[in-house]
Amino acid sequence: MKNHLKDLRARRGWSQQDLAERLEVSRQSVNAIETGRYDPSLPLAFRIAEIFGMRIEDIFQKG
Amino acid sequence: MTTFRMNPAYRRYLRRMLPLSLLYVGAIALAVRLIPDHAPADARTIGLALLPGLAVVGWVWAMGRLLVELEDEYLRMLEIRKFLVATAFTLAVCSVWGLLELFAPTVPKLALFFVFPLWALGLFVGMLFNRLTMGAHCPA
Repeated sequence: MKNHLKDLRARRGWSQQDLAERLEVSRQSVNAIETGRYDPSLPLAFRIAEIFGMRIEDIFQKG
Repeated sequence: MTTFRMNPAYRRYLRRMLPLSLLYVGAIALAVRLIPDHAPADARTIGLALLPGLAVVGWVWAMGRLLVELEDEYLRMLEIRKFLVATAFTLAVCSVWGLLELFAPTVPKLALFFVFPLWALGLFVGMLFNRLTMGAHCPA
């Protein structure tokens, strides 16, 4: 899956650690998702979408 | 300055593993000291020989608890991958060596005692596998 989590995060001026704390996951998790090495579970994807006020499909695309 | 905060699940894991490891070393030392060579398999010998086994069962329990308590799904996946690589490594080594023992009886016998240390070595292989396949930022 592709995602533009890094852009969304950068637009808000958040570091990976900031986003990780909001999601209650490790910074390594955020890094792995951003770089496409790990696809989050549906519950985590929903949490990410909720934090950015977007729909899951607007953040993650099939790739 | 960057501060390192260990995940609470890893902290609990270490808090469990440390006393269990001390118990293991102590129980092994006790068995070595109190059981003479070629001792009969009486109740005392069996009891002393099984004592370190309690710590090993404790290690297995602590590893299971780590997987249950690790709420971060990415870190949990990395741990599970390590466990799977370690299991595959142990199965492969033990099965191949077992065949050697069967068909080439002069090779040294691999005592079952070594299965757990082999699995622990497999965890290290699993960690390298995670580093190679999941990148340099992988913590486990």
